[in-house]
Amino acid sequence: MAVVLENKRVAPDVYLMRLTDTPAKPGQFYMLRPLPGSLEPLLGRPISVFDCEGCESSFLYRVVGKGTELLSQRRASDSVDAVGPLGNGFPLEDRDLTVVGGGIGIAPLYYLLKAHRARFPGRKRSAYLGFSGDSFLTEEFSALCDVSKVNIGGFVTDDVDFSVPALYCACGPTPMLRAAKKRAEAAGAALLLSLEARMACGVGACLGCSCATISGNRRVCKDGPVFPAEEVLL
Amino acid sequence: MSRLQVNLLGVSMKNPVIAASGTFGFGEEYRAFFDPGLLGGISSKGLTLHGSKGNGGVRVWETPAGMLNSIGLENPGVAHFIERELPLMRRIPSALLCNMGGHSLEDYEQGAAMLDKADIDILELNISCPNVKAGGMAFGMEPATAADVVRRVRALCHHPLLVKLSPNAPDLIAVARAVEEAGADGLSLTNTFLGMAIDVDRRRAVFDNVYAGLSGPAILPLALRMVHQVCKAVTIPVVGLGGIATWRDALCFLMAGATAVQMGTAGFADPLAMPRAIEGLEKYCEEQGLQNILEIRGIV
Ligand SMILES: Cc1cc2nc3c(=O)[nH]c(=O)nc-3n(C[C@H](O)[C@H](O)[C@H](O)COP(=O)(O)OP(=O)(O)OC[C@H]3O[C@@H](n4cnc5c(N)ncnc54)[C@H](O)[C@@H]3O)c2cc1C
Ligand SMILES: Cc1cc2nc3c(=O)[nH]c(=O)nc-3n(C[C@H](O)[C@H](O)[C@H](O)COP(=O)(O)O)c2cc1C
Ligand code: FES
Repeated sequence: MAVVLENKRVAPDVYLMRLTDTPAKPGQFYMLRPLPGSLEPLLGRPISVFDCEGCESSFLYRVVGKGTELLSQRRASDSVDAVGPLGNGFPLEDRDLTVVGGGIGIAPLYYLLKAHRARFPGRKRSAYLGFSGDSFLTEEFSALCDVSKVNIGGFVTDDVDFSVPALYCACGPTPMLRAAKKRAEAAGAALLLSLEARMACGVGACLGCSCATISGNRRVCKDGPVFPAEEVLL
Repeated sequence: MSRLQVNLLGVSMKNPVIAASGTFGFGEEYRAFFDPGLLGGISSKGLTLHGSKGNGGVRVWETPAGMLNSIGLENPGVAHFIERELPLMRRIPSALLCNMGGHSLEDYEQGAAMLDKADIDILELNISCPNVKAGGMAFGMEPATAADVVRRVRALCHHPLLVKLSPNAPDLIAVARAVEEAGADGLSLTNTFLGMAIDVDRRRAVFDNVYAGLSGPAILPLALRMVHQVCKAVTIPVVGLGGIATWRDALCFLMAGATAVQMGTAGFADPLAMPRAIEGLEKYCEEQGLQNILEIRGIV
């Protein structure tokens, strides 16, 4: 169980919630349940760690249904169920880092950039963020990066030059990931994708989140959510 | 002897709580949350002879106080299980139930023959999976077909045989009786209820297979009624399951006549649901002055 420290709206339908007792590495996620102990809604909602300081993580989420709606109504000092940290997360590598995020898919990339900066201050960081409507938290990203570009309404992957040597990490809607994979492959770039799937357990037990890869089915929750782009069949 | 100790089909279990098939992998996934060895038993993911990649499309979908699944028996196959997963699972000091399904009578027979020599405690024969196109639940719908597969497996396999029944059978009691007569040592029920979901925005069924299996707290009253009826109709032990989330829920099934219970979906919502239920049952025995939990078995 975790306690809400803050839950604020950062754009229409987009909230940033900070919780106690949620340690994590970049790219990991938690299964959050807005009403602890309640059997309705039953399942945890997989939400990425946006940022983490010590044992407190913040979560950037968009209200799309009943679970995220209820989450948005939780106030400071309310408790929520937080099962995690889950998933493999992003590796921190001693080379330049370029992140590509689409919409709410920017969520796991912030902490990645921050941890990369702390570990490899001399390296270059770039962020390409795409939004279909309102953008959010873009200044927070640019503060961590040498290059940052925001694309509203277009194809964010068109802005990225994958021939520049770097580790590329992307998260966003599947069509965006597909485009990124295609371009990275053409340029021979190393690209990691953070995938989404509907989940029940979040820990690798139910096989509800299987995704097809070149080496057979893998579980997005346990073997992922981060996979090398060349391995996944999107 | 501990107050929670029970004997299921000749297998001694430290408590009557078993992790339900398909919801606990092969026993390792929840280790970060609790020691799986605390459980009375663990039922493996449903195996098929040759293994399967499972179903495409959406596989899980939340419903009011429950969920639909269409995993489609994704599993590594019987041989792989015996070689790879079983040795690890065997290290967990809980009763080991091997859940096995099939697409044809030959599948069931070959799988059972292979498992006969394997170090498992109980074979849980799954004739109730609603998510595979050929076979699966089809074997559990009619008394004659159910009895046939049970008789054949019985002849090939010397492990205690628990047969997992489908709540979707038109005449569940008749299937239960036929399976008992065909040589089953015990029955487990229920598997998931056949359900459906429609994505109204996309104007289509959510699942590629259209129908899927409903589990979780939403099914508890239905499953409990069926367990109660079946316990009255057969003389072999019954393992009750369907929507159990707390020790009180577990107690309902024991009071209805079950010798043990299984828990599945509740563990997705709360990874500690099973250890909490075991603790609750222990406390209950203490408070009620029971020497053994099964003193209340079948009192309703
Ligand atoms: C690894 C991972 C990380 C994620 N990180 C974030 C994040 O940081 N911020 C954010 O806003 N969203 C994130 N998502 C998506 C988020 O999980 C869904 O938006 C959320 O579950 C919707 O819940 P709901 O109750 O509001 O919607 P409902 O539609 O009412 O949910 C019904 C069911 O469907 C599931 N579901 C619905 N949409 C999705 C989806 N897109 N992906 C997975 N499951 C879904 C729900 O979990 C629930 O079980 C992530 C998903 C995954 C898999
Ligand atoms: C994701 C999932 C996968 C399942 N896989 C199997 C399986 O492989 N074999 C089987 O006999 N039952 C399987 N079941 C059914 C459960 O073992 C159990 O019978 C059912 O879910 C009802 O119990 P519950 O409400 O406690 O989950 C599965 C259920 C779920 C939710
Ligand atoms: S959500 Fe259960 S295995 Fe991934």
